[in-house]
Amino acid sequence: MTWDVLWPLLWQATLETLWMVLPSALIAQILGTALGAVLTLTRPGGLRPQAVVYRGLDAVVNVGRSLPFIILLVLLIPLTRLITGTSIGSTAATVPLTMAAIPFVARLVDGALRDVPGGVVEAARAMGASTAQTVFKVLLPEARPALVHGFTVMLVSLIGYSAMAGAIGGGGLGDVAIRYGYQRFETGVMIATVLALLVLVQAVQWLGDRIATRTDHR
Amino acid sequence: MSTAPPPPALEFSRVTKTYPGQPQAALQDLTLRIPRGSRTGIIGRSGAGKSTLVRLISGLETPDLGHIQVQGQPLTPATLKQLQARTGLVFQHFNLLAQRSVLHNVTLPLELRGTPKVLRERRARELLQLVGLEALAGRYPAQLSGGQKQRVGIARALVTDPDLLLADEATSALDPETSAGLLTLLTELQRERDLTLILVTHQLEVIRAATTHVAVLDQGRLVEAGETASVLRQPQSAVTRALLDAHRPEHPLLAGETLHHLTLPDLGAATLDRLARQRARIVRAEAHALGVDVWLTAPDHVPAAELGRTGLGGTGLSGIETPRLIPEVSA
Repeated sequence: MTWDVLWPLLWQATLETLWMVLPSALIAQILGTALGAVLTLTRPGGLRPQAVVYRGLDAVVNVGRSLPFIILLVLLIPLTRLITGTSIGSTAATVPLTMAAIPFVARLVDGALRDVPGGVVEAARAMGASTAQTVFKVLLPEARPALVHGFTVMLVSLIGYSAMAGAIGGGGLGDVAIRYGYQRFETGVMIATVLALLVLVQAVQWLGDRIATRTDHR
Repeated sequence: MSTAPPPPALEFSRVTKTYPGQPQAALQDLTLRIPRGSRTGIIGRSGAGKSTLVRLISGLETPDLGHIQVQGQPLTPATLKQLQARTGLVFQHFNLLAQRSVLHNVTLPLELRGTPKVLRERRARELLQLVGLEALAGRYPAQLSGGQKQRVGIARALVTDPDLLLADEATSALDPETSAGLLTLLTELQRERDLTLILVTHQLEVIRAATTHVAVLDQGRLVEAGETASVLRQPQSAVTRALLDAHRPEHPLLAGETLHHLTLPDLGAATLDRLARQRARIVRAEAHALGVDVWLTAPDHVPAAELGRTGLGGTGLSGIETPRLIPEVSA
């Protein structure tokens, strides 16, 4: 395969990967943050302890985290159809990717929020902050660097997962690696794909670290 | 001439608080009135119930028994929000938000009350000016010294224009000189703004330096309360005497340190000798009580025994201030 064929192929695959990963990451970040915040608030000793709610959500998050992605991919086919109208292609892959990332984000957010010093939270409460104000004006802003870092870690994981989604027709870099590199024994394409993934992951990690550091005033 | 006395700034009536799972009450049948316009110190060792007292006043806990009145109003869930606005809190570890600038730390209490941005920032700048930090409004807490952080804490506590300022071990994490500066600031603010200041502390130095009244807590009970001068001069309880014994300033006094409400026997001969050599300034208690500070400078090398002859011995020194820069005494 020559460069003038490989290059558009890789470029197209990279765009597909981003198309799968970025919307999934954004939606998962929003829903996962909400879930993580609820975990932090409802845990014993939290601002709004609710043992039953906490134990239920905690179990759901653990199950979500322990399901292998390839299984989730198959399990979610009916839901994927319901939402996107199809179960193959890049757009369809966003559903399982989002669902896999939500518990991951929830866990990271829960940890990040619990790392906000208790004294700061109590100070806000003593100033008369409501629970919602404590979450939106104190907990989330104070945890911002950890949240940015968590988002980066999640994005990198999703790029990895998206390669698996590619295997069942999701497209993207993983799909190219398997179709050309593995099934047609084109080792060169395989290596080029791996390099493209490497560059993508590096770029995401570098950007994420940079934003986290830049916006951290500690 | 007789008018009804205003209600105390804060009143605890038979308050008991026990934390779940604890065998002993954190506060036991506490009755305490904090006079309006006073600077009241609340002192006790750790475990005495000081933190519980603070948490009750700030509404983070509710009493199991008894009730609390703030400015004559009962502290209940219905009045909590309003009373929280009238109480400013200053914390030992400052509790500033690391990701907010100095200015926006000070605006936070107003933001929580929905004050418009322009108004709250104007108000915050006024307060920062008051504590001498207007130039640092755009910095972040991590860029400040401990003393500066606490000044931000004080500005934040005062931004809602409270009647009551509650400082919980506000100077305990700071070095003695910074502490002294902050206590001076708090005292000035209390006078200028007609506040009631409550200083919760385990340090007798703080009580001496800055309070008019004191309450001594031990194991969740009030053991003694009254005007600072009389409590320190004639402690009635063993706990207070133990606190006084532990804090006799036999350690070298630090530059700029001010001790208040001392009596000569508190000090000991060696300290008096050194104070005399250091040209310590001595304030007479009687004059101080009249609101006139009379400063007498002890002459060089007056032996301790002779200090008594200057007319200050025996009963009442209200303060000894060491000069800021103590020159080395050459032999």
